[in-house]
Amino acid sequence: MAPVLPLVLPLQPRIRLAQGLWLLSWLLALAGGLTLLYSGHLQVQLWHLSTFLAPSCPFAALPRVALAAGAVALGTGLVGAGTSRASLDAAQYPPWRKVLGPLLVVGTAGGGGLLVLALGLALALPGSLDTGLEEGLGTALVHYKDTEVPGHCHAKRLLDELQLRHHCCGRHGYKDWFGVQWVSSRYLDPNDQDVVDRIQSNVEGLYLIDGVPFSCCNPHSPRPCLQNRLSDPHAHPLFDPRQPNLNLWAQGCHGVLLGHLQGLASTLGSMLAVTFLLQTLVLLGLRYLQTALEGLRGVIDGEGETQGYLFPSGLKDMLQTAWRQGGVAHRPAPEETPPEEAPPKEGPPEA
Amino acid sequence: MALLKVKFDQKKRVKLAQGLWLMNWLSVLAGIVIFSLGLFLKIELRKRSDVMNNSESHFVPNSLIGMGVLSCVFNSLAGKICYDALDPSKYAKWKPWLKSYLVVCVLFNIVLFLVALCCFLMRGSLESTLAHGLKNGMKYYRDTDTPGRCFMKKTIDLLQIEFKCCGNNGFRDWFEVQWISNRYLDFSSKEVKDRIKSNVDGRYLVDGVPFSCCNPNSPRPCIQYQLTNNSAHYSYNHQTEELNLWVRGCRAALLSYYGSLMNSMGAVTLLVWLFEVSITIGLRYLHTALESVSNPEDLECESEGWLLEKSVSETWKALLESLKKLGKSNQVEAEGADAGQAPEAG
Repeated sequence: MAPVLPLVLPLQPRIRLAQGLWLLSWLLALAGGLTLLYSGHLQVQLWHLSTFLAPSCPFAALPRVALAAGAVALGTGLVGAGTSRASLDAAQYPPWRKVLGPLLVVGTAGGGGLLVLALGLALALPGSLDTGLEEGLGTALVHYKDTEVPGHCHAKRLLDELQLRHHCCGRHGYKDWFGVQWVSSRYLDPNDQDVVDRIQSNVEGLYLIDGVPFSCCNPHSPRPCLQNRLSDPHAHPLFDPRQPNLNLWAQGCHGVLLGHLQGLASTLGSMLAVTFLLQTLVLLGLRYLQTALEGLRGVIDGEGETQGYLFPSGLKDMLQTAWRQGGVAHRPAPEETPPEEAPPKEGPPEA
Repeated sequence: MALLKVKFDQKKRVKLAQGLWLMNWLSVLAGIVIFSLGLFLKIELRKRSDVMNNSESHFVPNSLIGMGVLSCVFNSLAGKICYDALDPSKYAKWKPWLKSYLVVCVLFNIVLFLVALCCFLMRGSLESTLAHGLKNGMKYYRDTDTPGRCFMKKTIDLLQIEFKCCGNNGFRDWFEVQWISNRYLDFSSKEVKDRIKSNVDGRYLVDGVPFSCCNPNSPRPCIQYQLTNNSAHYSYNHQTEELNLWVRGCRAALLSYYGSLMNSMGAVTLLVWLFEVSITIGLRYLHTALESVSNPEDLECESEGWLLEKSVSETWKALLESLKKLGKSNQVEAEGADAGQAPEAG
């Protein structure tokens, strides 16, 4: 029954291990806290952009999982720091000893699992953003005019504010507005011949114009914003063809939002990777410290050498022991103990 | 008859010194807070100096920065004094300086109070600066090809979008200014020629506003031109339409922003002033308690601390007397010098 990965730990290396572990645990707590805060930030950003992301997009799961992983990492770091501090003092160690066992299990299974899951999501989910944004922005564009339809009445305000804040226009460019009726029929004069012509020239009966809303206007343009009759080169005299992009925002909102959210996800992914690394180191160190101190049986400051190990025996032996213990637990306990005690007592008198 | 006498035994003195030491270090933090508040206000004023004609007064942020630095210096010094006060040998080197230091502290507190008052009073000067600055900004809106003013359009547009405002007092200010540059006017068009002729100064004035005045909360697409002509737009009444453009003027919007900023800074400074006054009073009590220790060898003895040795009126009279003596001693010296010179001459 050889222990897995044993490490001999005399007093000085034990102290060094505890001190190094204390530092690493605080670093882990810091990393966990930062991950927590950043995933909260991502969650708030997603909440603001929820109108433009299709509800079926699974991206919203990432900040929640990262939040949980960050919380577990923070907890592991704090308890690890307390334990490693207490392990240097024999009087303080016993209460921490009881916490250490469950902590290692929770930290490895729960924390490690959550972190791996969050990392996986951070790598895989941004791909689904493309379709989610495409659908969401398309819906918002179509409902821009529906300011009196319950459920869509905020689309105009939110899309205007999005275009003003993120400096973008339309989905992939300003021409997207030409294919959508963004002027509500309530404000169209039914007696105006131009309006009637436009509606009749269209299969679906939509009022389409070659104009854009005011929120597409670029304040950096030297001339007052040109919003209407954009496809007619003769409509606006003195329009400088060398500066066509300055009049409106050149980028589409799809590209801008995709870049923004993917950037946030990749930063969160790197923070999760660092937290994962730190958590692995801290849990390994805590396990070695725990097994080394178990070997001393209470004399923590003793000069003796002990062995720290990861597992007391190989994986097969461990499973067999666990199986046997599980089987033994089904039999009633008091009947079992006297027959076990009897044979060793008989041994020494015989000798 | 001393003012507000308090008896101090050894334990009370020690407690006073320790409490004062802690309060002084907290006050250093408060000084750092005031410094950063002053710095923040300075940066905010700098950011929008374009619409304030670059002539805004930086008196308040500069004085807050100065007060923060002074507060840090004085309070760390006072903390050191309080720390040394418990050890008679160390305290002996501070003893001769303490009285003048307390006078300096009182002066510092008076100046801090005045700075806190200034925070509340600066609003008036800011209002006139903003009115002039915004008026000029709107005048130069169209000069996007004049060096030195080419950024004014961008500044005003971004200002109106960020602060949700339009014009100086309201959107009608744009009707009185030519905000469309002559470069983008088609002078062959009859409409343009009519407008320019109808105006004494030959300006092209429209009843329209720039796009940055538009309110995204409006249910209909923004109406920017022909605002006073109801028949130009379907189902539009300019007298009842409220959501189309921002209603607030940019002067009121900026004034309320800076006003609330400076009010909160003034409130924080007043709190710090109260804290500083209590520290000065505590330091005075510690000073007089340690001075009045009758037997320097016996540390356990009781002593008395007070704010002023005599009552307020007596102290004031004594101060006037000492000032007069100072004046008289100058006179006597002058007379002595004259008398000295006269026998030499004569």
